Amino acid sequence: MRETGYKGILLEQNKEPLLSRGIRELERLPVQEAFFSEERPDPAQLNASRLQNIAYEAQIIDESDGVQLWKKLAKASRDGALAIVVDALDDEPYISSQLCIALWMDDELEDAITIVKDALGIERAVVEIYRNLTDIDIRIPSKIGNYRVRRVGGTYPAELRVRKNESKLLIIGACALIHLYRAVTRCRIQTTAFVSVAGDCIANPANYEIPLDCTVAQVLSASGLIAPPKRIVTGGSMTGIGVTDPTSVRVRPATRGILAFAEQFDDLGFSCIGCGRCVDVCPQGLSPYFVHKLLRAHRRGTARRAAEGCNCCGACSYVCPAKLDLSHRIYEVAADGRRGGEET
Amino acid sequence: MILNPQSPPHIRTRETNATLMGDTIISLLPLYAMATYFYGGRALLLGLTGLLTALISDMACTMIAGRVPNLRDFSAAVTGLILPLLMPASIRYSIVIVAVIFAIVVAKQPFGGVGENIFNPAAAGMAFAIVCWPAEVFTYPAPFEKIPIKLAADTAIRTATSPAQALALGGLPNQTPLDLLMGNVPGPMGTTNILVLLTCLLYLTVRRTVHGRATLAFLAGGAAVAVLFPRAGGLAALYELMSGMLLFAAIYMLNDPVTSPKRSAPMLLYSAMTGVLSIMFRHLGRYEESVIFALLVMNSTVWLLDLWGERVARRERRKAHGAQTDPGLPQETGVHVGDPEE
Repeated sequence: MRETGYKGILLEQNKEPLLSRGIRELERLPVQEAFFSEERPDPAQLNASRLQNIAYEAQIIDESDGVQLWKKLAKASRDGALAIVVDALDDEPYISSQLCIALWMDDELEDAITIVKDALGIERAVVEIYRNLTDIDIRIPSKIGNYRVRRVGGTYPAELRVRKNESKLLIIGACALIHLYRAVTRCRIQTTAFVSVAGDCIANPANYEIPLDCTVAQVLSASGLIAPPKRIVTGGSMTGIGVTDPTSVRVRPATRGILAFAEQFDDLGFSCIGCGRCVDVCPQGLSPYFVHKLLRAHRRGTARRAAEGCNCCGACSYVCPAKLDLSHRIYEVAADGRRGGEET
Repeated sequence: MILNPQSPPHIRTRETNATLMGDTIISLLPLYAMATYFYGGRALLLGLTGLLTALISDMACTMIAGRVPNLRDFSAAVTGLILPLLMPASIRYSIVIVAVIFAIVVAKQPFGGVGENIFNPAAAGMAFAIVCWPAEVFTYPAPFEKIPIKLAADTAIRTATSPAQALALGGLPNQTPLDLLMGNVPGPMGTTNILVLLTCLLYLTVRRTVHGRATLAFLAGGAAVAVLFPRAGGLAALYELMSGMLLFAAIYMLNDPVTSPKRSAPMLLYSAMTGVLSIMFRHLGRYEESVIFALLVMNSTVWLLDLWGERVARRERRKAHGAQTDPGLPQETGVHVGDPEE
C-alpha cells in the first residue's frame, strides 16, 4: 500500500466578497506613480535583455516567490525556458489578489504575457488558477485572451502538486506581470502591491492596490475595522506570518495579504490522542504524529529524519483536534536537519 | 497595539478532542437506550455508575500527578460508558466500579494519562473483570427480563445461554441470525444489537471518528478463521461474527485512536490480526469471549507496527523525491524498539 500518496485538505476558500469586488484603491492611501524613464519602448521591438533592463529599472519583484523579476527573466532566457506559467493559483483561503487580476485585469494580463513571450521567444504560455469544490460559484474562464487557463483542482496545497518539474518553466506571478506591463507601456516603477485585505475584522474586505511601505496598521485603518483584531497576519491564512506590532510591519512588494481576525486561538489544554488526522492529510507523506512523539521523547536526531521533506504547508496543524502547533515545530526540526544540526 | 505572536496556520478546523470524544459518547447513547429497552432502568444506572467512577478516578489521578484536570477532556467518560455495556445487565455495581477504577488507575494514568496509554483502558478493565469474576461476567439474563435496580441475594433472574456460549459448547445458538441482528438475544447489555451497532459505525465513519475499513479488516480476519476452522457446521461463521462483544469491540475499542496504528497499512494489519486472534482465542481459550484479550495482545505491538509503517513510508518518500539520502545516516538493520534508525 502506498503511504506517500498526495493527500492535503479541502479548505473553505472564503474568497468572496473579495473576488466580485475587483481591484480597488484605498482612498486614504493614494497610489503615487513614479517613472524610470521618459521614452517609452515599443513593446513589439523588445528583446530579452531590454525586457530584463526594464524589469530591473522598474524594480519589480515577483510576488509568488519574492525574487526580483529581472533575475527570473535572465535565468529563463539563459536556460531556454519552454513555457511561461502565470501563477494565479491562490490556493490559500482569503488570498485572491492573483486570481482577481486574472478575472478583472485580463486585458493587461494578456498583453503582459504576449510581451514576455515575444521578447523571450517562448512558444507556450498557460495561466494556472486553483479552484475547488467549495467555490463552484466563482466562474473561472477557460481562456484569458489567447492563453489557456489551467484549472487546478483538488486539495490544498495545490502549488506543490502541480509544480513537479519546474526547471524548464518560467513561473511569473500575475501581479508581477501587471507591474511589468505598466513598466513596458508607461515606464512605471513598481510602487504598489496587490494585497488581499480580509478577515472577520475588516469592514470592506477587498483586493487593494496599496502603496509600498505603508504599515499594516495604516492599511487596516484605511480599509476599516469593525472589531478590534486579536490576530493580524501578513501573507496567506495557512502560511502567513503573525504580526505582533502592526505599526512596524510594512507592505512589501511580495506581500499577498493582510488578514485580521477577532478570534483568538485559546489553549484548550488538550494533548495528542493519536487520532491520525495529521498523517491522513500530510501532502509529503510524513507522520506529524510520529515526529511529535519523538520530540516529546527528546529524540531530536530521529525526529529530524522523520520530518525531512516538510514544506510547512500547515495542513497538520489545521486538522489537529488537540490544536497542537505541529507544522511550526516539525518545520523547525526539518530545517534543522537541512542545516545539518548536531545529533542529540 | 501589541498582539501575541502566532505561528501559522492562522485558520483551524472547528473539530477538537472534545468533539471527537463527544461523537463517541453520542453514538453510545442508542446502545444504552436499547439496553434499557431490553433490561430496564438498571442498564442506565450501571452506565451512570461507570461514568461517575471514571470521571472521579480520572480527576483524582490527574490531581495526584500534579496536573490540572481538563474539564473538556471526555476520554475518561468514554471509558466509563463503554465498560458497563460489555457486561450483563445483572452485574453487581461493585464489579463495574472496580473494573472502571482498574481501567483508569492501572491501565491509563500511570502511562501518562490521555494519549499516552499503551493498552485500551476499557479492554484492560474488562479483562480484569473477566479474570476475577468470570461467572458473574458471563452469566446473562434473558432479554426483556426486568431486573430490579437493587439486587438482593435471593433475587431470581431468568438466565439464558448466549450465542457465544452456545458456540463455545460446540453447538449452534437457538436464535436465528435475524434475532442476533435485532439484538433479541442474551449477552452483554450493549453489544447484542448488531443493527444498532452498524448504524453507530456508519455515523462514526461519516464523522471520521473511526476508520470503517479497520473494522472491516477485523471482521475479514475473524471471518477467515471462522470459515477455515468452523466450530459447528453451516452458519457457524456468521454466528461467530455476530455473537458476543465482537462487533462492539471492533467499532469502539479497535478504533481507539490512542492505542491503534496511525498509517493505513499498519492499521489494516493490526485490525486483521486482532480479528484472527480473537476467533482463535475463542476456539482455543477457556473463555467464551476473548476479543478483549486479542485486543490487549495486539495493543502491545502497535508501536512496532507504527515504526514499520514509518520505515516503509520513508523509503517511498525517498524514492519519490529522488533519494536525497544524507551521508551520515546509519544503515537500517533489523528491528530496534523505540528508534528505527539509530
